[in-house]
Amino acid sequence: MVRDFKLDKTRFVDAVKCNDVWMIYKSLLSEKVALKGINLRVPKGEIFGLLGPNGAGKTTLVSIMATLLRQTRGEVEVLGFDSLKDAKEIRKRINIASGNPNLIWSLTVYENLRYYAMLYGIRDRRIVENLIKDFELEEFRNVEFNRLSTGNKQKLILARAFINNPELVFLDEPTKGLDPPIAKRLREKIRTMQRERGITVVLTTHYMSEAEMLCKKIAFINHGEIVAEGTKEELKQMLRMRDKITIETDAEIPEQKFQNFEGVFMVERNENSYTFYVDSVEKRLWDIAKEVANYGRIRNVTVREVDLEDVFNELAK
Amino acid sequence: MSLRNEIYKTLGFTYRNFIITRRNFFTIFETLFWPVIGLISVGLMSVYLELSKEQFAFILIGAVTLSILQVSQLDVAYVLLFDIWSKSVRYTFVTPISAWNMILGSWLFGVFRGFVAFLILFVASEVLFRVNILISLPWLLLFLFGVFLSAMIIGVITCSLLLIFGYRAEIFAWTLSAIFMLVCGIYYPVSMLPEVIRALSYAIPLTHFLEFYRGFYGFKTSFENPLLIGYMLSFFALAVLVALYLWAFERARRRGTITQFSE
Repeated sequence: MVRDFKLDKTRFVDAVKCNDVWMIYKSLLSEKVALKGINLRVPKGEIFGLLGPNGAGKTTLVSIMATLLRQTRGEVEVLGFDSLKDAKEIRKRINIASGNPNLIWSLTVYENLRYYAMLYGIRDRRIVENLIKDFELEEFRNVEFNRLSTGNKQKLILARAFINNPELVFLDEPTKGLDPPIAKRLREKIRTMQRERGITVVLTTHYMSEAEMLCKKIAFINHGEIVAEGTKEELKQMLRMRDKITIETDAEIPEQKFQNFEGVFMVERNENSYTFYVDSVEKRLWDIAKEVANYGRIRNVTVREVDLEDVFNELAK
Repeated sequence: MSLRNEIYKTLGFTYRNFIITRRNFFTIFETLFWPVIGLISVGLMSVYLELSKEQFAFILIGAVTLSILQVSQLDVAYVLLFDIWSKSVRYTFVTPISAWNMILGSWLFGVFRGFVAFLILFVASEVLFRVNILISLPWLLLFLFGVFLSAMIIGVITCSLLLIFGYRAEIFAWTLSAIFMLVCGIYYPVSMLPEVIRALSYAIPLTHFLEFYRGFYGFKTSFENPLLIGYMLSFFALAVLVALYLWAFERARRRGTITQFSE
């Protein structure tokens, strides 16, 4: 029977669907469970964030979605295709870029892009030229990969990821180790490319600011499990943490003091301050400040909304 | 699946190997330096031993075949090694290529390098030792094509071993061809090998291609039609080895070897 690979775009609303995905690395002497029954939906046409601490299973999950790794159990559907049966069809429509910028050392910017274009069966050299222009690599067109700066290497890796005009791109920590201004420009580039082409992006990152800036929906992964998923606001609400009150003081407050304090979800003790994660600053600030003042003088109080980094820290525990 | 697309994907690997060879001194060295050194040393030894013209040709054919085989198999073996060394394996395997695109594309450039090596060695043996190793062109091309198929076989074995055993297997890129030549009778007829090894050598296509070529210089062949046997064995071996490569690739996908190669 001939499989019909004509893509009916109305057929699916999720770019990626993972159902009970397990990954167990087996060797002669040991077994390591990297993913434990992942269930995940990545909506089409959005930038979806996959966050988690080192070794949480992010890269393993992305590698499975990108057909570089076969899951031990479970089903993965990418752009409506089964990752095990239709890997080649998926590969035509996706691409990947990693934060470890590694391409063939002795090929120039142009040669690297042309080589990968050929692997997709792309004959039109204008595609290569346009990507060189789009990613501001004209000056380095004939520079060998190993002579490029880290920033330019990363630009080339990203340019390569768009060479086949993919419907879905996996970006695995794409700005890792870059100087902040370069990282910022690359993030803007990713956003522009995503909007212009209407593609889906799955982004793994350690930088919460990056996830806040780019991602519409986020999934947190830890110890091989999805521990939370939703929009930024949903995630904050899920943890009921909305505001963060930092009180600078020399006071020595007993640890159990705020354990059952209404509306206080977490207290962090720093060198000369305490940070309280609360449901509402308006409701709780006065009571907390009064309690702290019982133990010592308050020097300063700062209040701000909880950000993704706070959510990440809480979920990574 | 468009044929033009498949050809273009295949030529992608030819293009890459060409650029890398052009830019790296060590790959040019492999094509020019070692084959000529090998030929001169073996030739001088033959002069010293005062071998007959036929025996001299017998030895030189072995030296020339070893050089062509080594040069052309490297391109197939390197197709994966270039990616492993530069940690770009994931970028190659995330593209919609097949095993054939990789193997054929890299082999095509190996054929070119092997042909260049042959021309150099032919001229060198003629100029330095007055030994003509040229037979009639159609037979020569059939012999060379057989050697190039053997190079593809060795390259595919190396790639499969790399996918199964990882970095440790890279040594096979430089050693397998020498082991093959040892069993196939590089400087001696296979009839003098111990029985067990002789049986093994008959199962290797290169043995028959060598015997075919040496037959033009009056040496007896083990079988009636060595060229046909060589080709049949080559195509059978390739079918089996491509299946092995595909199995090794899926195993590497299951075990995470492909992602490990990229870290």
